Amino acid sequence: MTRGAMIRIGFLILALIMPFLPFVTDYILHIVILIFLYMILALGLNIVPGFNGLLDLGYVGFYGIGAYTSGLLTYHFGLSYWVIIPLAFINGAIWGILLGAPTLRLTGDYFAIVTFGFSELVVLFLTNEIWLTRGPLGLPGIDVVSIDLSLLGGPKWEFIGELPYYYLAIVMVLVTVFVMHRIQNSRLGRAWFAIRDDEVAAVSCGIKLLTYKVIAFAISAAFGAVGGSFFARWVTFLSPDMFKFWESFLVLCMIVLGGMGNIWGVMIGAAILVSLSEVLRELLPLLGLPVGVRFLAFGLIMVLMMRYRPAGMLPISAVAAQMRAGRTKRKRLKPVSRA
Amino acid sequence: MKNKQPFFYTGLVCCLVFVFVITTGALADNIRIGVASPFTGDLAAYGDNIKAGVSLKLKEINDAGGINGKKIELVWGDDLCAPKDAGTVASKFAADKSIVAVIGHLCSSATLAAMPIYVRAGLPAISATSTNPTIGDVGKGWFFRNCYTDEFQGKYLASYVVPKLLGKNTVAIFYENNDYAIGLKDSFMAGAKAFGVKVTGAEAYVAKTTDFTPQLTKLLRDKPDTIFLCGYHPEGALIAGQARKLGFNGPLFGADGIDNEDYIKLGGKATENTYCTVPFLAMSAGPAGKEFAKKFTAAYGRDVDWMSANAYDCLGILAQVISQTGPDRKKIREGLSAINSEGNGYNGITGLTYFDKKGDCAKPAFVKMVKDGKFVAAE
Amino acid sequence: MDIRRLSYNRRRRLFLQQLVNGLTIGGIYAMIAVGYTMIYGVIQLINFAHGEIYMLGAFFAITFIVSLGIPFFVALPLSMACCAICGVLLDIVAYRPLRRSPRLAALITAIGMSIFLQNLAMVIWGSRPKPFPQGALPAYFEKTAVSFGGVNLSWFHLFIYGMTFTMMVGLNLIIKKTRWGKAMRAVAQNKTMAALAGINVNRVISYTFVLAGALGGAAGIMTGAFYNKIEPTMGYIAGVKAFAAAVLGGIGSVPGAMLGGLVLGVAEAFGAGYLSSLYRDGISYGVMIIVIILIPAGLFGRVLKETKKSM
Repeated sequence: MTRGAMIRIGFLILALIMPFLPFVTDYILHIVILIFLYMILALGLNIVPGFNGLLDLGYVGFYGIGAYTSGLLTYHFGLSYWVIIPLAFINGAIWGILLGAPTLRLTGDYFAIVTFGFSELVVLFLTNEIWLTRGPLGLPGIDVVSIDLSLLGGPKWEFIGELPYYYLAIVMVLVTVFVMHRIQNSRLGRAWFAIRDDEVAAVSCGIKLLTYKVIAFAISAAFGAVGGSFFARWVTFLSPDMFKFWESFLVLCMIVLGGMGNIWGVMIGAAILVSLSEVLRELLPLLGLPVGVRFLAFGLIMVLMMRYRPAGMLPISAVAAQMRAGRTKRKRLKPVSRA
Repeated sequence: MKNKQPFFYTGLVCCLVFVFVITTGALADNIRIGVASPFTGDLAAYGDNIKAGVSLKLKEINDAGGINGKKIELVWGDDLCAPKDAGTVASKFAADKSIVAVIGHLCSSATLAAMPIYVRAGLPAISATSTNPTIGDVGKGWFFRNCYTDEFQGKYLASYVVPKLLGKNTVAIFYENNDYAIGLKDSFMAGAKAFGVKVTGAEAYVAKTTDFTPQLTKLLRDKPDTIFLCGYHPEGALIAGQARKLGFNGPLFGADGIDNEDYIKLGGKATENTYCTVPFLAMSAGPAGKEFAKKFTAAYGRDVDWMSANAYDCLGILAQVISQTGPDRKKIREGLSAINSEGNGYNGITGLTYFDKKGDCAKPAFVKMVKDGKFVAAE
Repeated sequence: MDIRRLSYNRRRRLFLQQLVNGLTIGGIYAMIAVGYTMIYGVIQLINFAHGEIYMLGAFFAITFIVSLGIPFFVALPLSMACCAICGVLLDIVAYRPLRRSPRLAALITAIGMSIFLQNLAMVIWGSRPKPFPQGALPAYFEKTAVSFGGVNLSWFHLFIYGMTFTMMVGLNLIIKKTRWGKAMRAVAQNKTMAALAGINVNRVISYTFVLAGALGGAAGIMTGAFYNKIEPTMGYIAGVKAFAAAVLGGIGSVPGAMLGGLVLGVAEAFGAGYLSSLYRDGISYGVMIIVIILIPAGLFGRVLKETKKSM
């Protein structure tokens, strides 16, 4: 058992018993659930820049789609959450394919901009189509998650308070990590890494670029949507202004900080940034620092990370090598005359 | 690189521990009340108003010895007017058992996100500014507010302000695409239909728009008598300026969103002849209100606004209830819902406050207008 | 309001008014778009922080006018100069160290700087919208200069058109006729060869940032003065729209960006005036997406080549 694996299992056990520790309040659980949610989002986004090397700036669009899918289906039809999860997944994947197919053949820069435009259009749509989404009036009173065995003659058990959501979130994170881990070690994952490392070489190995990129984008979108669906049923209130570009940027920050392409890295990035947010929320008034420093800090973090540790805190060696490759000094180009 | 890993993990654990530590720590003897508002971000100015009003009342109460000998301590929660952060702040307040009541939130969307948490935890909340009518339903008896709802305001504008005060009967509406303005516009239009005011057109805009000329051009074609600035003061000021430039000379009117000194500053001369309804008007208030306005200006160097006044009264109401029931969440809620008729209403600087079953209160509205570059009482 | 019910005269007036609105805002987009396109031309980077330079221009102007009492026509070039300096600093601090890094890193840095500058402005000047000190503008700006078809153009309108036109013409002259312009074109074509030809590439890139910054700053001041509202977040949305304009015109092409800006401004005005104003911003995004997907070269530009550096 490697050291890394032991540490991870240690964290898992800590997470499982955390609610029973003495000084852990509902507030702490709330924050940790938020961390888990962002872990799922970060793992989803990680696929596109981390595994495939493309910049996706529109992730919040899929997050919003998933949240509203879940919210609207619950609000109008009272569907059970367990049915909604796969529906959200599929919806996210569909939109991922719809957006990805025409745009993934574009250059990286254009692709980034198009995804950004897409997510802004999603927010505009959610805000303005009041007949569908109630727009800015929001969707209040979404049912909580419940396990309903009444059809089988069993009890109906509703999720009250943070505790059931906490364990649900743990399960969802574990499933996501498991899926990511398996994909990473599969043919699909290896194809993606090949695309990331050198597209031309990948094509010459027979990898159909567009197909694999679209699959990556669709899966990323699907996980974003699942995260959104959880969010809707947890906060029980939705409004379009919860899905602004800032969220995309935040998740991007997490994977940049933690280590692009590294599953564990992005999870750590998520944990650090969410806790940092909360810590700063408390700390700044105490230190008398001016308002707005919190967001400033995030921008600064990104710039500094790209400057000094562009592959993140827990880098993947392939990514790190790429980031380093362009930046070495001219000394490296020695005249080669090895016979 | 591999050696950094344990360092990183420990850093992570430290962060989490820090979060734990910060959240506990109460001075057991004080009565702690949470105040939730946006203190950073775009709407920080509004949060400042709440802070100002509440702080003034806090000083008064504590200087007089507190409630039954115990001082009040305020716990600030910055919700950025965002539902997600509102949920986090609400969770924090709910989990901290020493907090017995909450004043907040400011934005209706934040309150809507926070109320389920307060309901679940049994924490009463009283808002000075959330005007969305649906909050009462979500609040399930734990929510109270001492401001009128948008339903009331819209109807008041349509039934009294436009036909009687301004003497006009065609209106063009400019509304912002958010929950506050849409609710207001809907209730205004319903009222307009009932009272014979004709709405010649309604244009929606997104926050932070700077150029309204295309839409104004469209609206002004029908020559409305007045324009309803159904939104907040930054955009309202711009609409006023651009409307005047396009040759519109009639009166403008708006609701509490326009009530802000910056409206005049941003709009300049164009804001002349603008009317707005407000929950509190220092010039029309009773002696207690005038006294408060003087104290406020002395303490903060700016004119009092209705949010501060309402917040001041919120803390006053809570203090009165706590002095009777003691610092217990459930009892405070019962005490608040007992204030339910004119007979036992709270007499504060904003007038008489009492709550109905949904926690809403019926308060009168006042009208002020911009004359010679300043806000004065209308008529 | 039903357009069809209006008389011909009124309809023509509505049309002309929207055209005037569109050209005014379009000219401003054009000035910002040109900055985007020039920077993209020389370093192949979408400078997300360019919108913030635009915003800083407006803030510098009001700081000079209000706090230091400098007259408007002096504050204008002074702020433009400050923005130019800011642009160069941006390059030196954030972009130059990443010159050889993969595109992904540079893009992320650009976004990070944009967020940083936006919030820095909020910290320094506060997040409330501020009015432009109208007293500093000459009085005749308000008055009508030209009137046609029932639409009034004030001197201020003419001033904006004049400034926009002058700057566009001036920029074109610089690019086509001066040595620096030639150097910029060379660097845009092929950095390595330009370096071999003896051009100091870094200095040329800085020069490009100077020009882009000055133009962006000028756009910011004029927007602030004309619409009378300045706030730290104004750069974000204007930046996106100007970028859409640059894409429309063909990224890398200066005349394309100018034309793209005007077209987008007019499209927005007409869209907001005749169709729905709620999707006004959506028009820019929609245009951007459609142009990128269908005609990636835009009106005048060349198709972006996938260079080896992209990740």
